[in-house]
Amino acid sequence: MKWDEFFVTGEPMIYGAMASIVLATIAIIVGLTYFKKWGYLWREWLTTVDHKRIGVMYILSALIMLFRGGVDAIMMRFQTAVPENKFLDAQHYNEIFTTHGLIMILFMAMPFIIGIMNVVVPLQIGARDVAFPRLNAISFWLFFVGAMLLNLSFVIGGSPDAGWSAYFPLASLEFSPTVGNNYYSLALQISGIGTLLTGINFIVTILKMRAPGMKLMRMPMFTWSSLITSVIIAFAFPVLTVALALMMFDRIFGSQFFTMSNGGMDMLWANLFWVWGHPEVYIVILPAFGIFSEIIATFSKKNLYGYTSMVVSMVVISLLSFLVWAHHFYTMGQGAMVNGFFSITTMAISVPTGVKIFNWLFTMRKGKITFTTPMLYSLAFIPIFTIGGVTGVMLAMASADYQYHNTMFLVAHFHYVLIPGTVFAVIAGFHYWFPKVFGFKLNERLGKHAFWWIAISFNVTFFPLFFLGLQGMTRRMYTYSAETGFGPLNLISFAGALGLAFGFIILVYNIYYSIRYSPRETDGDPWDARTLEWATSSPIPAYNFAVTPNVKGRDALWSAKHDNQPIFDGKIEPIHLPSNSGKPVILGAVFFVFGFSLVFSWWIPAIISGIGILIVLASMSFDRDHGITVSVEEIMETEKKLRGETL
Amino acid sequence: MKIDATKPLEYGSEENSNKIFGFWIFLGAEIALFSTLFTVYFVLVNRYATGPNGTELFELSGVLWETFLLLSSSFTIGLAVHSMRLGLKKPMMIFFGLTLLMGLGFLGIEITEFFTYVHEGATISTSAFTSSLFVLLGTHGAHVSFGILWGASILLQVKRQGFTLATANKSFIFSLYWHFLDVVWIFIFSFVYLKGLM
Amino acid sequence: MMKQLFPIRHVMGYLTSLILSALALTALLDIPFASKMAILAVTAIIQASLQLFVFMHISEMASTKKELYLNIAYALFVGLVTLFGSMFIFVWGWYS
Repeated sequence: MKWDEFFVTGEPMIYGAMASIVLATIAIIVGLTYFKKWGYLWREWLTTVDHKRIGVMYILSALIMLFRGGVDAIMMRFQTAVPENKFLDAQHYNEIFTTHGLIMILFMAMPFIIGIMNVVVPLQIGARDVAFPRLNAISFWLFFVGAMLLNLSFVIGGSPDAGWSAYFPLASLEFSPTVGNNYYSLALQISGIGTLLTGINFIVTILKMRAPGMKLMRMPMFTWSSLITSVIIAFAFPVLTVALALMMFDRIFGSQFFTMSNGGMDMLWANLFWVWGHPEVYIVILPAFGIFSEIIATFSKKNLYGYTSMVVSMVVISLLSFLVWAHHFYTMGQGAMVNGFFSITTMAISVPTGVKIFNWLFTMRKGKITFTTPMLYSLAFIPIFTIGGVTGVMLAMASADYQYHNTMFLVAHFHYVLIPGTVFAVIAGFHYWFPKVFGFKLNERLGKHAFWWIAISFNVTFFPLFFLGLQGMTRRMYTYSAETGFGPLNLISFAGALGLAFGFIILVYNIYYSIRYSPRETDGDPWDARTLEWATSSPIPAYNFAVTPNVKGRDALWSAKHDNQPIFDGKIEPIHLPSNSGKPVILGAVFFVFGFSLVFSWWIPAIISGIGILIVLASMSFDRDHGITVSVEEIMETEKKLRGETL
Repeated sequence: MKIDATKPLEYGSEENSNKIFGFWIFLGAEIALFSTLFTVYFVLVNRYATGPNGTELFELSGVLWETFLLLSSSFTIGLAVHSMRLGLKKPMMIFFGLTLLMGLGFLGIEITEFFTYVHEGATISTSAFTSSLFVLLGTHGAHVSFGILWGASILLQVKRQGFTLATANKSFIFSLYWHFLDVVWIFIFSFVYLKGLM
Repeated sequence: MMKQLFPIRHVMGYLTSLILSALALTALLDIPFASKMAILAVTAIIQASLQLFVFMHISEMASTKKELYLNIAYALFVGLVTLFGSMFIFVWGWYS
């Protein structure tokens, strides 16, 4: 072991980061000890199997990762703001754009979405938890461990630096001899397992645990989007599992999958990565569409227009998403027939999304619209995302793509679908469901300020990039000469990035401000909404619903409030809940040791922790804990306390 | 917990049925996983560089024994589940145990096969073809190994607790896993070995 | 007793699988390539179906029958698209 390769040395900024990590860790440990909260932390959060708590942990992690990914972005935009800037050298720039991509997609967007799914879906279908609560906790801890591994890389061993897509031969051992891309392979593999388990969990939950009367075509649209997303996850993530394993074998065990000799095929990596990668972007966008469907319907005081076509369009998208992947590498050398086929499927996939845009517009037509913060994000999404969408159709044409590919045009396109799509949706969803979980709303004034800063700055940041791309500026370029003329538009883009940063600071400040000053609500339905999750109190009791709801149509809560269709017409019965368990977090810890050991090729610790994983799994198999029962008296007590009334 | 006596014990509660359903979905994901491994194999099968190719490496006799053992173990685990549904603990445990033994036999032959390849100069580093061969066969073999450990722990639980909601459920799910591994092997037998020897 | 422990469906399924595996060996004879591939594919698919229906009882619960078929169909869709799509890109449709 070369110890000077263990800790990253020679970089002032990284020394600063190491110091902050150590200080923050000490602060957390001291704080927990001083306030005597270790027991609380273990009992209420580290061992929880409650979907609401797990969801909150996912979202908190995502917010922290948003900060790190955002700082990466500011650094990149600062570096490229003027020609021949010396802020970051090429190696650093590579590490930063790699980390930015990995964090934003896999450790910000995915957990944010999965966190919202965790909080909302069981409530929307009238269930008490997901199908497999302990597996759910395992999913969270595996994600967390993967995120920790990746975040550790820049101070220990070195960041991955071959892009979030880690193409070979650059990502091979020959051209990336440090451990950075080992971190890539292992961190993504571990959190990927967690995601796959989530997909399976939610498929079973949604198909098998709906309240009586909630037929599939009566489900809220966010639940439908979660179901279809979970199906895509279940079948796409195994492809990533294989790809990452082959990468690990090449880098650590000397296999010849993606090498440039002995029969290896470097392009095969790109192929496998994108077979997963394209469905992945639909995994992050479909729940966003579901969130917008809920918010637009609620704040137009109308039911969602075109329910059936919304469902059908998502099913079609899920199937087509597996048929378009080669559009990510039109220029790699396959023949025109191949490119022609994938151009057609790629253009086709825009059609069902277009259907959805029209349905949202028709939902708003003749509705009673209130311009709350979540609604503002949803309204902004429609035109701005459409720009991303139509530029996607431009890119879909293989022959034209030879001009656009890997220029800033592409970078602008995908940010125009990811940010107005996924990011706006999770922020809107965060504002929308926040009062359901915490019992008070986020401040509207601050929320709107943040929105305007973010929405306008986003366009200032990314619109110029379309033109830079058309002028010939390639992506992932750490600098450029003044003669290229790329300077002015990059400077404007940097100004926009500062505006985005400011907007996000207001958003974070809003959380603090609201905790201190927002009036606490006892009403579980602050927005006068339409779906079942709003029929619980806020905060929500552990068992969700005291009485299992009886559903008689779509938008069950709306019908209950306005059409005299009561949903809670049963009597209270004892409720069976799963017990907390320490095994998921312990399993996560062992996986961390396993992953870290493999990154550095420390075989003995790897084997020991590998056996450790099997031991924890065996102990779970021999577990005979069958959970706890909440008595009728306890339920009535809790309901009285939360609602100030009896059922 | 509400037990549905009209269904076999492994399906007997809502939680049990959900676990079986969830495991089927997991098997769907595993189909995607093995399809990817097969894809890699077929793309790289003719890229054996200066190393040996399939025709030079594969030996039919070992493969036939592996096939016979795995197919027979699939038969015995099916018989085990059948006995379980009849409530016959001892026959179930015997069939289950035979399944695991034959699994061990399969592994023994496969490990010997791998050692032979390495001895003949075909290692995971030799060529893209050998890499994909080892990883495809190895992933299947690793699944069998994990299955043997998992199956042994279930057999132990059945021995201690008899047929309960939990043990019946786990035994049935294990049988699904084991049958699935046989399905994967059928395709390996046909499209790796036989095709390679064609 | 034996009839109880060795149900006929299972026994027939097992014997059929052995026969199908033996039949697959005929692909090693001197016949056209297309016939070899057809034999391998047909024997494998029949054996796989036997496993699914006779041994794994995929259709035994009315409440999950449709969903399980859909599950296998989607999985096969993804698997076959990955396989044939990749072969299309790298082998049959490669730049010439």
